[in-house]
Amino acid sequence: MNNKFPIDILSQVKKPARYTGGEFGSIIKTAAETEVSIALAFPDIYEVGMSYLGFKILYHILNKEPGVAAERVYAPWVDMEEQMRTHNLPLWSQETAKVLCDFDFVGFTLQYELSYTNILNMLDLGRISLYAECRNEEEPFVIAGGPCVYNPEPLADFVDFFVIGEGEEVMIELMQAYKAWQKAGKIGGRKSFLERVAQIKGIYVPSFYQVEYLKSGEVAQVTTSNKLAPAVVTKRVIKDLASISFPTKPIVPFGSIVHDRIMLEVFRGCTRGCRFCHAGMVYRPVRERNPQLLKQLARELADHTGYNEISLVSLSTADYSCLAPLIRELITELKEEKVSVSLPSLRVDSFSVDLAKEVQAVRKSGLTFAPEAGSQRMRDVINKGVTEQDLMDAVTAAFASGWSTVKLYFMIGLPGETDEDILAIADLAKKVQYKYKEVTGKGGAKVTVSVSSFVPKPYTPFQWSPQDTIDEIRRKQFLLKDALKVKNITYQYHDSVTSVIEGVFARGDRRLGKALYLAWQSGAKFDGWSEHFSYERWLNALDAAGLAKEFYANRQRGEQEHFPWEHIQPAVNRAFLWREYQKALQAELTEDCRHGACSGCGVCPELQVETIDWKEQGNHEAEN
Amino acid sequence: MKLRIKITKDDSIRFISHLEYIRTIERAIRRAKLPAAYSEGFNPHLKFSLASALGVGVASKAEFVEVELAEAVELKSALQALQASLPRGIGVLEADLVTKKTGKLMALTRGASYLIKVPCLACDWQSALDEYNNAASIIFAKALPKEKYKTKDIEVKHFVPKITGSYEEGIIELSFDCAITPTGSMKAIEVLQVLQKQLGLPLVLEKADILRTDLYTTDEQGKKQPLLNNHD
Repeated sequence: MNNKFPIDILSQVKKPARYTGGEFGSIIKTAAETEVSIALAFPDIYEVGMSYLGFKILYHILNKEPGVAAERVYAPWVDMEEQMRTHNLPLWSQETAKVLCDFDFVGFTLQYELSYTNILNMLDLGRISLYAECRNEEEPFVIAGGPCVYNPEPLADFVDFFVIGEGEEVMIELMQAYKAWQKAGKIGGRKSFLERVAQIKGIYVPSFYQVEYLKSGEVAQVTTSNKLAPAVVTKRVIKDLASISFPTKPIVPFGSIVHDRIMLEVFRGCTRGCRFCHAGMVYRPVRERNPQLLKQLARELADHTGYNEISLVSLSTADYSCLAPLIRELITELKEEKVSVSLPSLRVDSFSVDLAKEVQAVRKSGLTFAPEAGSQRMRDVINKGVTEQDLMDAVTAAFASGWSTVKLYFMIGLPGETDEDILAIADLAKKVQYKYKEVTGKGGAKVTVSVSSFVPKPYTPFQWSPQDTIDEIRRKQFLLKDALKVKNITYQYHDSVTSVIEGVFARGDRRLGKALYLAWQSGAKFDGWSEHFSYERWLNALDAAGLAKEFYANRQRGEQEHFPWEHIQPAVNRAFLWREYQKALQAELTEDCRHGACSGCGVCPELQVETIDWKEQGNHEAEN
Repeated sequence: MKLRIKITKDDSIRFISHLEYIRTIERAIRRAKLPAAYSEGFNPHLKFSLASALGVGVASKAEFVEVELAEAVELKSALQALQASLPRGIGVLEADLVTKKTGKLMALTRGASYLIKVPCLACDWQSALDEYNNAASIIFAKALPKEKYKTKDIEVKHFVPKITGSYEEGIIELSFDCAITPTGSMKAIEVLQVLQKQLGLPLVLEKADILRTDLYTTDEQGKKQPLLNNHD
């Protein structure tokens, strides 16, 4: 058990339980039970990291494997880091207080670009050489996975290899490869192990690739410098979720974390095809879990965790084909234990409101919808597939059912956006407010308009688009602010300096490693926390590295430009993305391939997978 | 029926807060599937309570939980199920079943015993303790939890009449009983603050290792009695 922090340190930091482990469900293996050890390292604080379903899954899958010990590590909050540095204490795991440098693997998840400085900081606190090429034979392999791994290049200098795609199978193959290499006496050293893993599907060893640049700064080509490395690394995908094990005995923390409830994953992937959405492109295709299996998992999770709430999670839970009957069954099944069912997000339609009504019979706390854009033209540009009528139907249903608080999510800075499109956001908010009067006969509906600024991501149709400059975003924010000076409408927005750096790293290349290092060296960490983010520090770091933010973020990229991330493949083909980009500029829609025509994204044939939809499956079975 | 259970808060989890400790026990009761009673209404709450709050950083060999039951349980198997459902840092020691009408444990609790090890510079610690024990009155300005910068004067001797101690290799070991009254009590760390500030003991407070060794009730004569198994 982790008891290594002395009393005087723990009594001086905020929320000391973050650092002392011992939670119900945490797994401690003895040295004798451990052939391979891996630290699942989340580059943010405990409360955030403990809420991440991906690590709950990997913790379970890895620890189930004989001889493998997976433990957890989080970024210490700044007060604890200060204590650790003052007392010369290293970063260690929650389970056994093993120092990061003593693991065989340290695996980071890349959830958002602004956590990259925390990765460097954790390596430093964990006594691991920051640069991969400087690591000696005793040091762990630093690996990374997660959504940002589809452009891993800014981290290429620091990470030994990346794991692309869904991890359940490949992580076990990796552990087995390590055991075999260990048994063979680690012959050939680190390089030989890297050569072994480079041959595992879905593993990308950046040091085996060379990048050449054009005079313009664009990438000329990426070639392999080791003949064992594949020219292109394609993501791993689980064909059928029934073939993998879902954790039914997750760790139940003492303190409250961000998502402090049961998280039951109902499906992976989403093919609605929103053109701004990175997850919608890289996690294809849709694969639903069998409703009967979900019911059984829910039962086990309720028994093993003692939680009183279960959340059905996915990229778009309202799209689960058997959602209404599933929710009804779960409510009945878990009634005895007083477990309530919740939905993390709603679709913009009255069906979703009906479901919300069913799950939160009492708490009329407020509903959130995401029309994403104010004008119909703009919603068509992003292929949101939602009309004003859909939104009005949804809020009408909500107001008629007793809700009086509605939150609306929008993005600004979308490709081809005009001032009219911005002002349409204000109009839409006012129409929603007026709808309340129409439905209930009285005023007083509270409408919150929450606006974020759009950041183009790799492997989306907008990967060619310039990101709005900070001045342009600020101008649009104030334009909207003026138009929203209305009683009972709250306007929320953030200063968008963080999205500039997010944009640079999202579509950046290897050369950014230098800027990342310099920013970290001058104190950057917790960049995702606005109170710790310094725009000036980042501008200085980019400057010192000889790089321009405009080159990465604000430039219109050419149809033929070779992107830095193209040797990493989520299997969505480039021709499809370009086609979608062109359709976006014409405000043309593309339908969801799940119910309509195949849009030709290439994922199913390339990965030998197909959509799994239980309602359609059920229909087929009925027909047969 | 009500189930009363004596449990620990071990060293390893001493830094979880009282709220976190409560939540952990509640979830353990649910995992153990004890037939606990719930409040009525839309947000049903499990009917259980703890005898006394314990500060962050304080370990305990004697915390008491009281759970209202909706149906009868077999004591031994209920305790086994509960132990299996608790995290490693909480041990189940003993238990007791009482009728629903029995007063709440919280109202029954009259005092807490502490054993504290705290680094202390070499000094005449015995005279300081003697001075404390012989004093008729010691006033302490207790910080009010909900109002910043405001304090309330309390009589320390009313809560902690006597402190005993021993000293070895730079560590002073202190033990005392602290009364818990309907109008309040004192935290162990506050008693240490009194010793440090008002009696001049050079204690290193941030390194104080505080262990609550017992919670107790008292009889008509004011004598200490155990909280469990002392009913008719």
